[in-house]
Order: sequence, then structure tokens, then C-alpha cells
Amino acid sequence: MSEVVMSISNVTKVFTTRALKAGFKAVDSISIDLLKGEILGVVGESGSGKSTLARCAFGITPPTSGTVEILGQTLAGKSRKATRELRANLGFVFQDPAGSINPRMSVRDAIAEPLMLAGENTVAIDKRVELLLDRVGLAASQLRRKSHELSGGQCQRVAIARALATNPKIVLLDEPTSSLDLSVQAQILNLLEELRQGFDLTYFIISHNLDVVSHLSDRVAVMKDGKFVEVGDTKSVITNPTHVFTRELISTYSRVGLDKREIPVGFTLDSWQNGPLNRWAFQNVEKFLPTAIIEPSLNPPSIPVAIDSAIEAIEIDVADQRFTFPELLADLDTDSIVIMRKGVLVYEKYFNEMTVNSPHLLQSVSKSILGALYAIMAQKAVIDVERTIGSYLPELINSAFGKATISQALDMSISIYFSEDYLDPQSEMTRLDIAAGWRSAPEGTDCGLRPFLKTLRIQDEHGKAFQYCSANTDVLAWLIAEVTGISYPELVSTYLWNPMGAHDRASIILDCQGLSVGNGGISTSTRDLALFGQLILNSGCFNNNQIIPQFWIDETFAGASPKVASVDYLQALHPGGSYKNQWWITASQSREIYGVGIYGQYIWVDPTSETVIAKFSSLEVPVDALHSRKHMALFRAIGRL
Amino acid sequence: MNSVLKITQLEVDFCLNGVIMNSPLRGMNLEVKAGKTLGIVGETGCGKTLTAMAIMGLLPSTAVVRGDIELADHGRVTAVDMARIRGEEIVMIFQNPQSAFNPIFTIGEQLKMVAKRRNIARSEIEKLLISRLTSVGLNDTKRVLASYPHELSGGMLQRAMIAMSLLSSPKLLIADEPTTALDATVGDQVLRLIQELQISEGFAMLFISHDVSAVGKTSDEIAVVYAGKIVETGPTPVVMNNPKHPYTQGLLGAIPSADKARGTLVAISGNVPSKLTGLVGCSFVERCPMRIDRCVDEPPMVKVDEHSVACWRSEQ
Repeated sequence: MSEVVMSISNVTKVFTTRALKAGFKAVDSISIDLLKGEILGVVGESGSGKSTLARCAFGITPPTSGTVEILGQTLAGKSRKATRELRANLGFVFQDPAGSINPRMSVRDAIAEPLMLAGENTVAIDKRVELLLDRVGLAASQLRRKSHELSGGQCQRVAIARALATNPKIVLLDEPTSSLDLSVQAQILNLLEELRQGFDLTYFIISHNLDVVSHLSDRVAVMKDGKFVEVGDTKSVITNPTHVFTRELISTYSRVGLDKREIPVGFTLDSWQNGPLNRWAFQNVEKFLPTAIIEPSLNPPSIPVAIDSAIEAIEIDVADQRFTFPELLADLDTDSIVIMRKGVLVYEKYFNEMTVNSPHLLQSVSKSILGALYAIMAQKAVIDVERTIGSYLPELINSAFGKATISQALDMSISIYFSEDYLDPQSEMTRLDIAAGWRSAPEGTDCGLRPFLKTLRIQDEHGKAFQYCSANTDVLAWLIAEVTGISYPELVSTYLWNPMGAHDRASIILDCQGLSVGNGGISTSTRDLALFGQLILNSGCFNNNQIIPQFWIDETFAGASPKVASVDYLQALHPGGSYKNQWWITASQSREIYGVGIYGQYIWVDPTSETVIAKFSSLEVPVDALHSRKHMALFRAIGRL
Repeated sequence: MNSVLKITQLEVDFCLNGVIMNSPLRGMNLEVKAGKTLGIVGETGCGKTLTAMAIMGLLPSTAVVRGDIELADHGRVTAVDMARIRGEEIVMIFQNPQSAFNPIFTIGEQLKMVAKRRNIARSEIEKLLISRLTSVGLNDTKRVLASYPHELSGGMLQRAMIAMSLLSSPKLLIADEPTTALDATVGDQVLRLIQELQISEGFAMLFISHDVSAVGKTSDEIAVVYAGKIVETGPTPVVMNNPKHPYTQGLLGAIPSADKARGTLVAISGNVPSKLTGLVGCSFVERCPMRIDRCVDEPPMVKVDEHSVACWRSEQ
């Protein structure tokens, strides 16, 4: 076991400001030991506390609490002289090489300064400077130059020579190469390794550049919000990260920008929803549409898994045909499926580049999430669902929504001139897509959902008949953000995704004015959607925590009044069924409820067999009766098992 | 595929009192196709930015520019034509947004100046600005419009700059190291934003960067520039996976990764020559690990498979 050269224990740094009385915890009780000769890399986004931690560790700023031992001694409470002597063991190299060298000093003086402060005589200083200059690869002719006469790479060499002047044991490298050309970066990285061996150094590297860190360091610590979320051997952290944040950091990093090679041929803003282009598009909406992030839970409990191999063996009879389970999944252009029974994940399968963690567009399944959010806000008495939409959003007072109540919007019983025809270029649905930025806008069209929603007109009396209209949900997403003063994605994260233990980052598409597209813009991982279904099945309760009010779940399962639901196509699909609180109610013997999105997206909750199924597809066409029948048959066959 | 911009034999000399002091561009040829991205890579001082400035007609009077610049719908253009075209059909975003904005006007005032050049009603301008700012992810539009450049972060400023450049719905965007002056994580976000906008708006892009891996991921075609000339060009995946020119090989070898042993990164030795006037033979010969006797003569650009390479060795 190597000797510990720096021991950081329980270091916390709090910055207080007048505005923030409690203070901001930049570093939160971090402990780590640096071993002699090792290279420790600290990575994280900007603002995660990397630099503050390094400043505390190297005695530039005192920590609020906790201790740092350098070669067994602490800096705190020492005399000036003793502090200086101990500090001679530390070296620093910063990001901006030109900025960290005094422009009035020559190369020689810059390197000599720490030695002069240490009280060395001129002869010894000159000898040392000469040696260092040679070791960092600079010519003696450059001694008299000033920083503006040097290139960026040469400046960084001078900074490194200066850091090594007092013969330190530990060197802090804060973004040592991020302002350099790639080829110069390679020279500096090679130099750093050469010097580490030659001078017996230990490095503490901070960088956002994962390539640099993974190339150089032995160990990596991943930092987020002032804490280490993962520390370990570089290879294993980079190739097999365990924490959700590390996985994200690595995947965002490797996706720097958008890889052009991924985009399928023929992809345009008007073609992406159709098969087979939607196979790529539904998994990658954040690459071509503006989105906001829905944060998952920071420490999600793991999902119990017990794979039931019997599922793969079932056979399904539908439309005068017999399908094996894999055959039917393939027939329905499945991208992924997750099945949970009694709270245990019993089956999952991913196709077409989908993975356990990858997001997929929910389309109208997004609506079912909004329904639950309204229940939570109604319970908190923030929103009264019996009030009219116009009373909350005066802008909509003259539109179809002005006199409609929120609950009528939730149950889709608003009477409105709106054709939900996905393929008719003249339909209101197509115009809604254009307003949301999902299709290209013809010249002269106003962008944004708000101006479009204002134009929609009332047809007949509200509350009398079911009329499925996606615009209702967009109004509701707008309203809930307006009333609570919290953005829609943040509401989903705070009240649902975080408390229910979601594992992966979700997102929602925004229109050109930054308004969330509530009717169909959410993307989540398949597992997280299944967890949401499980939450509904568990009467809104997760880990002894009532997340969604029970009364609302009971109300949803009970369905809407038969009078409102007596619309032909709804009765043909589900005899006795209805639509309630943004969910479809089957009213079958098993009392399943479900959310469905165009091109085959489903969340299926079957309370009788206690089964939850989340399924994503990329079907050729938006709606098809046969596809619906096949899906129902598949889900019911799984429930019967 | 039709091209938006085609440059033939572009040369730039810097003169003082009629004497050529330096010739930083020595015959650049390139073509940007409609809706596609051409990435230009090379070290600092190879002439990447100079090419962009020469196209835009933004070089000082000491520069003598020769060669043809052809634009779709315009044919060959002169510096006079360019004064009318730039900022409308061809726009540019610069490395440092802090210095690209005027510090004494608010962002709103500066965006309005640009918007007014289009013939749109006053009432529509406000709407246009708001929708543009939100499309670049600046959702707090009121605050952004009322802010002076120093009141916004580098990332926000660069986004505002992108919003400004796209006000005229251009056909070509020249992005000169748009992320270099930004913090890396912010830089990545800005890069992604530009690409998203390219998909939704369909403009072509000339993307200039010294970061080969970024260009490798974002461009359709790549042009490697050394000492004022293109030394290798072709479809990006082809060049990235099978670089032929020793300079390209050097740039790619310099990318650090966990798989390469510490201290063994390929670093191209030496520096880019600073004075190019009267240069004879291959410009890379001084730094080339693979030089041969023939390198005293300048190698022509030859087609090898799908790339074009200027190296005597490429034929072997």
C-alpha cells in the first residue's frame, strides 16, 4: 500500500451571501485520500464544486469544516513560516496559461518567483530555472521573453515549470489543457506524464474533458452538487459507471453535438413521425426539437426483478391469426416492452437500439401523466378543477376553453371545432403540430401554442359528449404552470418523477415560446413509464408515501358517466368504456385502464392481475384499428398468465 | 446536390507599402453544399479564420485577396456584392461573443437593428425577437432583451449571437470556433443547439474548429487545412477512419483516450510555419515523420478513393 500524501476528510465549504442566509454548500462533506504517485481526476459539470474542492484541498481557501492533511500535517493554525514551508510541497497549474503569468515578468522571473519567496540565493535559482526550462522542453533563448511573446503551449510549459520550482510533491492541474490546440494538448499531456515519473509527483486533475481525464488518471471521482457520486478506478468508472449521473455525464459527453452519421436518410421536420423514420426520431427527439429536462430521482431504489420465462412462450389469437409472443412484438414494430407483475419486473425486451435507460417519445401517453399532476394540485387546493379555464387564463376567455371547466378538459368533454385527424394537412390537429413546432410552418404562420389555442372556437354545449381533443391537454399544461408558477417539466419532476423513484432523465418538448407540449411531448425510459403505471396500480402510494391522492385513482377507475361516453367509436372499442382524467377506461371484467399514444405507445394498468405494461413502438401509421386490437389482445394474454 | 458556396484558388497576401509581407492563404478550394456542414480543421495559424474573413470580405485594406467566390443565385461575387449579401444570406458567428457584441447597446437594441433591415412591421419585430430567442433556449426573453452584453454569461451571449445571425433566415452560417471561448459543458450545449437549428431551418454551415473530434462528429465533409492550403478533404467518416495525409494522421493521433498508454500520445513536433511567402515544396515537410526526397516539390491534390490528398506518399 502506497503512502498517503494528502488526506481530505469531511471537507465542507459553504458560501454565504446576503440573499442566501443559509448559504450555498459548494462542497458537501467530501473525504478522499491521495496516494503517492497516483493521478486522481475529478470530473463534473461546471458549478459542481470541483474547483472549490481543489482550492480547499490546496489551502487556497479555508474549508468551512473538515480537515486537510498534507504529508501528515494540517495547514490550519500554523505560523506564516510553517505554512509557507508546507505549501512548498504543493504546485498549481491553471486553465488559462497566458492569464496566470504576470505579463510584466520574463519567463525567468516567473519561474524564479516561488524560489525567491522561499529564500533561495540567485545562483541556486538560476541553476534550478535552467534545469526546469530544459525539462519542460523550452530553449534557454526563451528566458528573457514575456508571456505575450509565447504561444499558448509555451505559456503552459512555463506555468508547469513554475509549479515545479519548489520541488512539490503534489500538483494541482485545473483544466491544464482546455485552452490549447489538440496537438499542443497532446504534447502537454505527454510532458505531464514524463514529469510525474521524473519528479515523483502526485497529480490532482480537474477537468470537464473526459478524454483527458480517462487518458491520464488512475482514479476518477465524479462530482455533482458538491458531493462525490462515484469514485473508482478510471477504467471501471468510464466503461461501467454505476451511478445514474456518471452514466449521463459519459453519454452526454460522447454525444458532444449531434452525430450526423446517426440521422436517417430522408429525415425532415415533416417526415419524422412516420415509419420507419420514427424509429430513430422517437428515441432522439431532444436532438432535433427544443426540450426541457425532467430530472429523475437522485437516489432511486432499485426495481425488484424476477424474470418469468413463461411470458415469452405465450401464444395470442387475434384477427383469425395465431401469433407467438415474439412474432406479435415484431408485427407491432415494438421498440421496447417492460412488464411488471405485483410490483416485480417480470419481463423486459428492447429492440431497434433501445436500451434500459434510453428515452422514447410517449406521444399521448403524456396526457395520463398530466392527469395525475392535476390530482396532486387539486389535493393541495392550488387548483380547483370545477372552475373555468377562462377564470385562470383570461387570454383564453373568448376561445372554446373560456367557459369550460378544468374537469371537462381532463375528461375530454369540451365541445370544440377541432378535427383530431393526424393525416389531414388541413385539420386543426396538423395546425396544432405546426404551432408546437412538430412540423414545419408555412410562410407567415405564427409560431407557438398560445396564439393557436386562442383561435379555437366552441361548437356546442360542454360536458355533454366525449370529444378527444389534444389541444385540451396543451391548455391544461399551460394552465398548471401559470397557476403554480413552476414550469411543467419541473412539476413532473418534483411531484411525480422524483418521489416515485424514476431512474432516468426524461424530457418534454417545448414550443418556440418555451411552453411545454403537454399533449404528447414527454419522453421517458420504458422502465420509468412502467414505474408510473405501478404507482397508479398501487393507488398512488410508493414506499409508504401517498404521491397521488387515492380518491382520484378510485374516481379514474370508476370512469366517466355513460351518457357522456355514449359516443359510437368509443363504445365500439370498449363497450361500456369511457375516458376519465386523461385515461382510457375499458370497463371490461378485469377493469383495466390505459394511456395510449399514436404509433403504438402504451401504459396499461390491469388491477385484477396486478399487471403493468409499458410498451413503445414505431408503427408505420398513427392510428389503426387492427393494431389496437392486437395490442389489447397481447396485453390481456399477458394478464391472464 | 447544388452548392451554396464555392471557392476556387483563394489567395490572400498581406502587403505593406506594396511589399508582400506574408501570404497566409495560398490557394484554397472548397465547396459547401446546401443544407450540409463542411468542417475546416487545422492548428492555430493555418488560415481557418482567414478563409472565413476573406469570404465575408472583412479583411483590412492591407490584404490583397485573389481567387473566385461563387454563391448560389449570385454567381461570382465581388467585395461590393458581398457587402450587401453578408448578414442576410451569409451570416457568421465568432469565437468570442463578448467582443462581437457592442458593449454600449442592450441585446434588444442590437437585435432590433438587424431585424429592421428586413421589411417587417414594427409590431412584428418584437414577436420575431421573442420567438428567435426562445428557439435558442433563452426563455427569459424580457431580461435578455433588456441586458447589456456584460450582464449575460458567455453561453447566453453566444446563444443571443446565434439568434441574431438567424434573424434573416440565412442560407449559410459560418461558425468560427463558436464554442472555444465557452466553458466546455456550455460549449457542448451551444454546439448541439446549432445542429438542432440546422435541422429545423435547413441552412448550410461552414464549421471552423481546431477540435478534430468535434468536427468529426458534426460535419458531413471535412477539409484539413495546413499552412494556407487544404491538404486533405473528403466525406467526414472516410477521412476520420482512414486519414491519408500525415498531418491528418497526426491530428487524430493527438486525441487522448483511455486506450492509449500515458505519455505516448502522438504529438506533431514543431510549429506551423509563420511566414509562408515564397514557400517551396510541401509545407509540412519540416514536421513530417514520413518525408521522402520528392517532398522538395509541392505535391498536387490527387484523388485517392473518396478523398483528395496532397501528399506524395498517398499514391503508395
